[in-house]
Formats: sequence, structure tokens, C-alpha cells
Amino acid sequence: MNKQQRNTRRTLACILAPILLLLACLYGLTYGSVSISPVEVWSILLGDRPETSSLIIMDLRLPRVLIGLLVGACLAVSGALLQGVMSNPLADPGIIGVSAGGGLAAVIAMVVLPQYSYLLPAGAFLGSFLAAIMIYLLAWDSGASPMKIVLAGVAINALLGAAMNGFMVVFSDRVQAVLPWLSGGLSGRSWHHLGFAAPYALIGLVLSLLAIKPANLLLLGDDSARLLGLRAEVSRFLIILLAALLAGTAVSVAGLVGFVGLVVPHAVRLLIGGDYRFLLPVSMLGGGALVVFTDTAARTWFDPVELPVGILLAGVGAPFFLYLLRRRRLTS
Amino acid sequence: MSTRSDNSVTIKSDPAIECRQLNYTHGGFRLKDIELSIPSGQLTAIVGPNGSGKSTLLRILAGLAAQESGEVRILGEELHKFPRRKLARTLAMLPQSKHVPENLTVRELVAYGRSPYQSPWNYSASTEDHQWIDHALQLTGTAGYADRMFHTLSGGEQQKARIAMTLAQNTDILLLDEPTTFLDITHQFDVMNMLAAINRETGITIVMVLHDLPQAVAFSHHMVALRRGSVVAAGSPRGLLDDVFLQKVYDLEASVSYVENYPVIIPKTYYKLEERNMIIVNNTSQIKKGQASLLINRFDKVGKVEEMEGFLGLEVLLNEKPAEYDEVTISTRWVSKEAFQGWTRSDAFRESHSHRETPEYILSNTISFHEVKIVRNPISA
Repeated sequence: MNKQQRNTRRTLACILAPILLLLACLYGLTYGSVSISPVEVWSILLGDRPETSSLIIMDLRLPRVLIGLLVGACLAVSGALLQGVMSNPLADPGIIGVSAGGGLAAVIAMVVLPQYSYLLPAGAFLGSFLAAIMIYLLAWDSGASPMKIVLAGVAINALLGAAMNGFMVVFSDRVQAVLPWLSGGLSGRSWHHLGFAAPYALIGLVLSLLAIKPANLLLLGDDSARLLGLRAEVSRFLIILLAALLAGTAVSVAGLVGFVGLVVPHAVRLLIGGDYRFLLPVSMLGGGALVVFTDTAARTWFDPVELPVGILLAGVGAPFFLYLLRRRRLTS
Repeated sequence: MSTRSDNSVTIKSDPAIECRQLNYTHGGFRLKDIELSIPSGQLTAIVGPNGSGKSTLLRILAGLAAQESGEVRILGEELHKFPRRKLARTLAMLPQSKHVPENLTVRELVAYGRSPYQSPWNYSASTEDHQWIDHALQLTGTAGYADRMFHTLSGGEQQKARIAMTLAQNTDILLLDEPTTFLDITHQFDVMNMLAAINRETGITIVMVLHDLPQAVAFSHHMVALRRGSVVAAGSPRGLLDDVFLQKVYDLEASVSYVENYPVIIPKTYYKLEERNMIIVNNTSQIKKGQASLLINRFDKVGKVEEMEGFLGLEVLLNEKPAEYDEVTISTRWVSKEAFQGWTRSDAFRESHSHRETPEYILSNTISFHEVKIVRNPISA
């Protein structure tokens, strides 16, 4: 890739990503058990036509599309940031246990304190953050090697998964409310869910734009970043904190949805390179588009059965993960 | 671009970097009571054997590692009182790590050098930034390929681009950790000449860790030698470099001469071996056709000869050409006749020869001695 090629690709990506996102949203709003034409959708969004289709759009599809958009954006940005600061291309909040930390905290919160649902994102964030710090400390040996992070992450992931299952067995009488949430889907998500997750998600996404410069500097390696005036350890810690906030927010509303944080930033990086000034916004939009599109597909393709979006994403993401592993081995 | 020359008059008199009673331990490795004074506006080379602490010392000077005791002063101010960003505007360093992210052009890499002057949310370079980037590209001769992708450049060009990034930081001091290692010899001299020219033109203080001692002496104004974590010599490079210095710092027996004013180091072991004689002992046996392996196997069990003093090497040669017998020659090489006689008198030799009868498959046996002179590639003992 030379400079012209790269810049052309960057421009294309910056134009195409918002278009893709719009198309995905339109797909999500128009398709379903009742098809509603884009024109109708448009007039409903403008506040006309108080009919049943309006109910479907405003109460069911619109909040679900918006939640999908936020979840996808949060997961993709979280993955992009973790991959950079852990200098590991395989870091994904779902694979290395960051999401599982949030999941465990969320399960505990839902079972023990069901009345405080608005605290769910905060609890999930705390769980995600503790998991991220634990992985980082376990993998640390005068510098955290990429391989060690994946190994420590997988172990933490298993441990937290076991804790989650154990908890659900012990409190099996109260676990009914948790089960649909856990499978990782957007089924039945409404304005209420959007209301408690959106503030955390928006704060996280705006803050992530401030992480662009330090994340770019950390790509040069710790020594070079410090020599260029960055407090590398502090920056890395804050960025992990931010990635955990984003992953925790996504977990709190959509459950354990994996592979978005891996697939999206990687595909974007392959296309336009690793510069966070472009990688981060394009991943944000791309992640939103991917989850909205996949969720609509999961909802409509297998009618009358509705698949949780997490299952479909894993079906796409797992082969992609294996492809990355293979490609890395071949190039290294 | 006048800031440095304005200050240079006042700075010149004081050292750019000073260390007092510096101590550092990490694992089994330590720096001990380092006293150091790096002259301002000059090229200083830090030399010493592997593991002597050169790179560690450089890392401490750059604020990448913290000393246990003692103090480091940068331009008269204590190093630990510098905030990171201010330090990055005062002192730049080229670390040993060669890592550069993919898909960067040379200009974009050099632009990273302006980070200490930019706010975290500022994504585009200012006019002043661009001036410094251009200046750095020019000084390093990399302006011609500023828009090429970094990873498509040769090793020498990449190294110059990395150095350009540190120059874009517009600092008074530049540290370089082995800037020429892994480059071919043309690019090594290319980089060294470039650094000397930059030092002349801008008056920047350069401190570099170098492995190549002749390069260090030829290109630097001041030299510091480390050994086992201590400074063992410091001063004018040409004044320091002699056979006593090489013995003291590197445990090397060698002499120094200058060819057209460039230092050449000739190790004693080299010309000694060049004049050495060698004894070759060929023990040739004629063996019943097809049974040569019996003798070779028998010989394998002896084996003690490798440990003998003055033993240089051994070959087992098998000749199957003659129609009526096979021929096995055990050829050993020795530094002297005495060394070979020492082997024939050793217990190991007696054990392998005296208690045995000559096996029936050996038809005849001759031993020949050759005293030869080594005229080419010296054989290491």
C-alpha cells in the first residue's frame, strides 16, 4: 500500500462508513414480520401517521436499532483501543474476559439488587475494569507480551464464566430474568434500556476521541511514547479504563455479544491502516452498522424463530478470529 | 530555527549532562558510582564491552529508568524535576527498538517528533511544526522520500528517518543507542557522517552508544568507556585509544595504528596465529575390504584426544578406491611436536593402545608426520 492508495482508501472508508450505517438502520427499521416501506418510516419518524406501523417503529424497532448502534459502536471502539494499548491484535473484550467481568457483575446486580437497574451499566463497567486490570497484571513481566495477554485473558474469561454459572446455580430461583439477557441479544430492548445505557455510551464514545493521540503514540512502543512526552503508564491505564467503560456499557444492555470488538477494528485496519485518527471513527460507525445489520438479520432470516444477535456474530466472528491467527503465523 | 544558536554561547561553557555518584541495580546488573560530564555541543561516544551498562546509562539519562541514588543534571537542572513533556523538548533519544507502526509515511513518522509541542486533541500540525519537520527531513537527507511508506525503505534510509523524528523534537540534546548496529558498512558511515554534519551545523549535543570502537574514535570529540557498570576512562578519543586502554576496557590484547588518520585495531591473536606452524599426524591403516567401519567404531570409543593441550583438530578419512583393501586415515593436528608427544604419553592414549592386540582386520599401518606452516585462514584452537 503506498501513500496514494492508503489516502484513497481512507477517504472511501470515511464516506462509506456513514452510508453503511444509514443503510443498516434503514434495514432494521423497514424489515420484520410487518414490512414498512422507507417512505412510511420517514413520515413516521417525522411524527405523522399514528397507526399500528407507527407503534412498531417507535416502540419496537427504533429503540432496538439505536441500542444496536450504540452497542456496536462501544464494542468496536473498545476492541480498537484494547488492541492498541495491549499491543495485541487479538485483544477483544469478549475473548480476553473484559466482557465476562462486566457480565458477572451484571448478573450479580440483577440477581441481588434487581430494583436498581439504572446502576447496571456502572456495575458492568466496574466488573469489566477489574477484569482488564487483572489480565494486565497477570500478563505483566517487564512489559506485557501479546501472547501472555491472550493466555491470561482466556484463563480469566473461563474463571469469570465459571463464577457466573456458579452464581446462577446457587440463585436458580431468581435467575429467570437473567437468562434472556445472558445469551447476548437485543430482543425486547426498549426505550427504558436505551435510557440507562445511552449516557454511559455517549460519554465513553466522546472520551474515546480524546484517546486518539495517546493511542497513536503508544503504537510506537512505550519507550518512544515516553520520549515524546507521553506518560505512557498513565495513558495506558486511562485507555484501559475507557475500554472497560465501553465494553461494560455494551454488556449491561446487550449481554455477552462477542467478536464485534475483534472483527470490526481488524477489518478497518486491513483496509486503511492503524492510525487511530481514522481507525477509531470508522470502527465506531462500522461497529454500529454491523450490529444493527446482524441483529435485523437474526430477527428476520430465521422467522418465526428469533436468534440472539450474539449467536450470529459468533458464527461470523469465530472463523474470522481463526483466519487472523493463521495469517499472523504466516507473516511472522 | 534560531533558538539553539542564541543559547549556545552561554550553554557551551557548562556540561550538557552531569552525573554525580549515580547508582543503579536491576536484577544481577548494576551501575556503580558513575561520575559523568557530557560536554555541550559536542559528539560524545559511550563505549564498552557487552553488558557493561552503556545502554542502561543512556536510558537513565533519558529518564526511561530511575537511578537508586545520585543525581543527573540536564542543562544544569535535576532530571527528576523535569515534567515528561518539558524533558521531551529538551532531550530526544533514538532507542534501540526499531518498532514503527505500519502504513506510515516518512513525513508522518517525523511528525510524531512534534508531539511534545502539541495538545492532546490537536490532530493537525501547525505552521511551526511543518517548518521543523521540513528542517529535520532536510538535515537527514530524507526529504526526497518523505512521502514514501516507511516500511518500503532500506535499513539505512529507515534509520535516517527515525533520526529525523528525534530532530523534529528540536532539543538541545540527542541520545542515540547504537545508531549503526545492523546497518551495512556503507550505511554505517553514511549515518555517522550525517550525525557529525548535524552536530556541526546545529550545535546539538549528541551522545551515542557505539559498538564499533574505530567509528567511536574517528567521529566523536569525547569518549566515555564503561566496564562492569563503572566508568573506567573518559577523555579525548585519540588520547584514550591505545593497547593499555584495550586491555583495561575490553581484556583485548591488540595494537592500535592509524591509516590515513582512521584508527585500526589489530588483535595480537591474529598475527600470532598467522606465523604459527602446525604438526599433522596421519595414522593410515589398510583394512580388509568392507571392514573399515570396525576400526572407525573402535576409534570413536577413545575420544579423549579432544581435551589434550595443543590439540587443533581431527579428521577420519576413508578411502575405498583400492581394489584389494580399504584405507582409513586418522589425521590429527597439533600446535607442536611436543603437544603430540604429550598425547602419546598420556594415560588416555596408553589405555587405548597398550592393552589391545592389533585386530586381525588391520593388514598394515603407517604413521607419518608433517610439519607445515599456516599461510591462510588461522585455525582457532
